[in-house]
Amino acid sequence: MSAPPVHNPEVPKLTEHLFRHEAAKLVSTLTGIFGIHRLQLAEDVVQEAMIRALQTWPYYGVPANPAAWLMQTAKNRALDLIRREKLFNEKQLEIAASLEALPDEGDTPRFDDEIRDDRLRLIFACCHPAISLEDQTVLALKTLCAFSVTEIATAFLSSEGAIAKRLTRAKQRIQDQRIPFEIPSGAELESRLDGVLQVLYLLFNEGYKASSGELIVKEDLCREAIRLGGLLAAHPAADHPRTHALLALMLLDAARIPARQDRDGNILRLMDQDRESWDRTLIAAGLWHLSQSSRGEELSEYHLQAGIAACHCTAADYRATDWARILKHYDRWQEVSDSPVVALNRAVAVANVHGAEAGMKALREIAKPEQLETYYLFHAVVGDFEERMERRQEAAASFSKAIELTGVAAEKTFLDERRRACESNVPYRPGKHRPKG
Amino acid sequence: MNSYTNSNGYLLLFRGTDWHLQMSPEEIQQVMGDWGSWFDRLGKEGKLAAANPLENEGVVISGKARTVSDGPFAEAKESVGGFFLLKVETMEEALAIAKECPALPYGLTVEVRPVAPACPAARMADEAGQHAMA
Repeated sequence: MSAPPVHNPEVPKLTEHLFRHEAAKLVSTLTGIFGIHRLQLAEDVVQEAMIRALQTWPYYGVPANPAAWLMQTAKNRALDLIRREKLFNEKQLEIAASLEALPDEGDTPRFDDEIRDDRLRLIFACCHPAISLEDQTVLALKTLCAFSVTEIATAFLSSEGAIAKRLTRAKQRIQDQRIPFEIPSGAELESRLDGVLQVLYLLFNEGYKASSGELIVKEDLCREAIRLGGLLAAHPAADHPRTHALLALMLLDAARIPARQDRDGNILRLMDQDRESWDRTLIAAGLWHLSQSSRGEELSEYHLQAGIAACHCTAADYRATDWARILKHYDRWQEVSDSPVVALNRAVAVANVHGAEAGMKALREIAKPEQLETYYLFHAVVGDFEERMERRQEAAASFSKAIELTGVAAEKTFLDERRRACESNVPYRPGKHRPKG
Repeated sequence: MNSYTNSNGYLLLFRGTDWHLQMSPEEIQQVMGDWGSWFDRLGKEGKLAAANPLENEGVVISGKARTVSDGPFAEAKESVGGFFLLKVETMEEALAIAKECPALPYGLTVEVRPVAPACPAARMADEAGQHAMA
């Protein structure tokens, strides 16, 4: 005899990304109990709790405290497993006791602190130098952000098989190297923190450059990187100026995401963007972290990038952009980085301060120009400079080259419009140079 | 396909207990949210008589000896994960609702079965009797 369905007119709306966030939290909590070498088991248990919710909530409604429900379910499942399996032979009692000790109801502040520490331990474990940087990033997405293999493959333009292989490899390294589940201290923290920051930076960039695929996943990458960065900055062990600088740069860049495309998905240049749609809350948070980052003597690349982003965010309109100050930041950045991409961006600042001729000259002075030959943005910048110098034929050819080199549909469309504008000898205006038909 | 009206409603059987294994928490939440709205709407429209998930485990009783054995009852992809009993009048309506199931794109299958107005055996005997008299 089945119960009539409980009809609840007030269905609690699950907060956005609740499952992803809870899953990431639970994985780190359970990893803290099982040990990092049982990362896979923690992930499986958490996945099962989510699935349990999927099987029952649709019929019985959402529980009053979804997070506590998931916690309890994962805990029960874990207890089931360790009682049934021999694998925990010697540690079984200890682990069961730790699981039993987990609070059932909601979150107490004490518990929050523990979770936070567990999550940071997990970040540091995933970003161990024994794991290659590429694998670190994938592992971080899977364990810290609870992304599926499919989502990661989409984000990295890679195949699911390749991503799965990387995950296996990374987890194997954790086993073999007996990587500890802890936040290192002293001198080791210094070097390890850099790895952690770099993974977050890569995570953010992957989302920010919107290389292709599902835009939704992309924005999520940025959001997750910011969330983990916030966690890091709030912890005494990782509360360094460069942590705040990275967080500031991510917040200030993320604030401008909504303005980068118009409603039809067309790419908009900075000068064409509607600054009203920049996220003021994120800008305020970014500026606050930027001020936090200026304690001490440190000046990292994150500081310089955050400074550049702040110049853009604080300009009332495009014309008010303080390009001279931006160029100063790039000059200093170029002193510490030999990246040709940094030099390319600096050339844009040069052109905006001293004109397109000077920008071209800066491009010619780039130390390793051959690395840029296959980079579509290099040709797009060249085209832009040529167009400004009234050399429209050459500009059209440069835009064509850029089109060939990019895999992103929206970029292709944008560059093709720039090319058409040059060919028909009219100034470029967004959306005005579509092919007929 | 018959389209006789059926005052006893229609049963939607959700088949498949392994379609969500590769999903991320984010996707699981998405499906669940959509499912919740779907379920609620059907409730509001007065089309749901009953709905329940089924446990994944259970027992099967078989044979003269009434042997009791643990499941599994079927392969994971055929196993029933839950059901809706719909209060709708026609197969068409029931099918339309089944097609709205938010988990379909992920590999869940929905079986739609009319609930027989009377015991089918009795109905056949009945019909045969009427036939003989005709």
